[in-house]
Amino acid sequence: MALAALGVSARALRSRSWLLGTWQTQIRDTHQRASLLSFWELIPMRAEPLRKKKKVDPKKDQAVKDRLKKRIRRLEKASQELIPIEDFITPVRLLDKARQRPPVELPFEESERRALLLKKWSLYKHQEHEKERDAIRTMLKSQQEALQELQLMSPELHAEATKRDLSLFPFEREGPDYTPPVSNYQPPEGRYHDITKVYTQVEFKR
Amino acid sequence: MAAPIRQSLFGVAKGRWRFEGLWAGSLGSRSLALAAAPSISGSPWRLLGAVCLQRPPLVSKPLTPLQEEMAALLQQIEVERSLYSDHELRALDEAQQLAKKKADLYDEEGDEQNVLLTQDMEDAWEQKFLQFKPGARITEADKKNDRTSLHRKLDRNLVLLVKEKLGDQDVWMLPQAEWQPGETLRGTAERTLATLSENNLEAKFLGNAPCGHYKFKFPQAMRTESSLGAKIFFFKALLVTGDFSQPRKKGQRVWVCKEELGDYLRPKYLAQVRRFLLDL
Repeated sequence: MALAALGVSARALRSRSWLLGTWQTQIRDTHQRASLLSFWELIPMRAEPLRKKKKVDPKKDQAVKDRLKKRIRRLEKASQELIPIEDFITPVRLLDKARQRPPVELPFEESERRALLLKKWSLYKHQEHEKERDAIRTMLKSQQEALQELQLMSPELHAEATKRDLSLFPFEREGPDYTPPVSNYQPPEGRYHDITKVYTQVEFKR
Repeated sequence: MAAPIRQSLFGVAKGRWRFEGLWAGSLGSRSLALAAAPSISGSPWRLLGAVCLQRPPLVSKPLTPLQEEMAALLQQIEVERSLYSDHELRALDEAQQLAKKKADLYDEEGDEQNVLLTQDMEDAWEQKFLQFKPGARITEADKKNDRTSLHRKLDRNLVLLVKEKLGDQDVWMLPQAEWQPGETLRGTAERTLATLSENNLEAKFLGNAPCGHYKFKFPQAMRTESSLGAKIFFFKALLVTGDFSQPRKKGQRVWVCKEELGDYLRPKYLAQVRRFLLDL
């Protein structure tokens, strides 16, 4: 009974104080309100209830990170994909049997002629190689002698002559063609579409 | 005591050298006045740097008969060991169809007229190839044997020779200049080229080291204590671009291949020069 009375009185007090509280807030910011009696404007009716901070978030983030790391580790362990060498891969259309030539049977004279020609050729190439070798030897000898003379003449000039020439390499030159360049050549019109396949090798580094 | 005397001599001699002109040369001539002091102090030899300027070939050499035979043989072997190409397969199919048509003797809906035969394609390609006019391998300068032009002997290396007046003699030689203290020998060679061509020629020098040398002694009348003879060091250079502007003095410069060097150079000089020129 007493408890109940206490409870009632406490509730009454609370409600009164609550009403008083809101009334006090009403009075406090009357200068801000549009009209004096606007009560419903005070209470924010459209707001959502405040969201609580999720305690599970850091755990989820950690789990995601772990999954990614596992995936990266697996990729690293797997051997790297090598860039295919297109010259070594025979295109399928060339494995057709219809493409093969019938085998040629050479007559005796032809095979003899070929054997003889190959022998003459090997002799010719041997002689050519010897000539080239001798020429290079004489050139080198001539250079060595010149450097010796220079050394006798003046050691400083010799030292400068034996220094490395850094502007010499990279040395690029276009080789001789079959016909000389035509001075007023007009190349045909058109666009150049480069369709070479470019492969990139991705390195997974830790 | 000795040093100032030597220095004064040097000064006097140098003045006289400048007065003489560019190269108070001393190759084999008696009537020439005594020239400059030695370039290297203490050495009786004079030092000269020369440039062996070569125009590399623009065109490949013609094949010898043996090379032609071998090339033909290799081509034959390659064809024998190859597979049929698309073009050849097409030709074979058409031949088969033609044979079938002749055998069966009936028309196939007139499709044949629209199809391009391989023979037609080959003819068209041949026509297109004939329309292109390539440059001539044997130029006019070859026919006229005009040795001052650069456009001759496109398949050989051409070397530049100049004619210098030494005393009362005209001597053909590789372009050279006297070494001046304070520069390297390669610098001397580059300077020769620059003065000779008035900076029109662009050349790539192949390294700092000389490729050959030639030393000679002056004739007895010309020898002094200080100049006993001269040493010429040759530097190789490859012509990149450029040519001489209109020749002011005709008959002074010549582009020559290795065989023709003998027509111009003195025997001993020639022997040394031939050692470092590669015969193509």
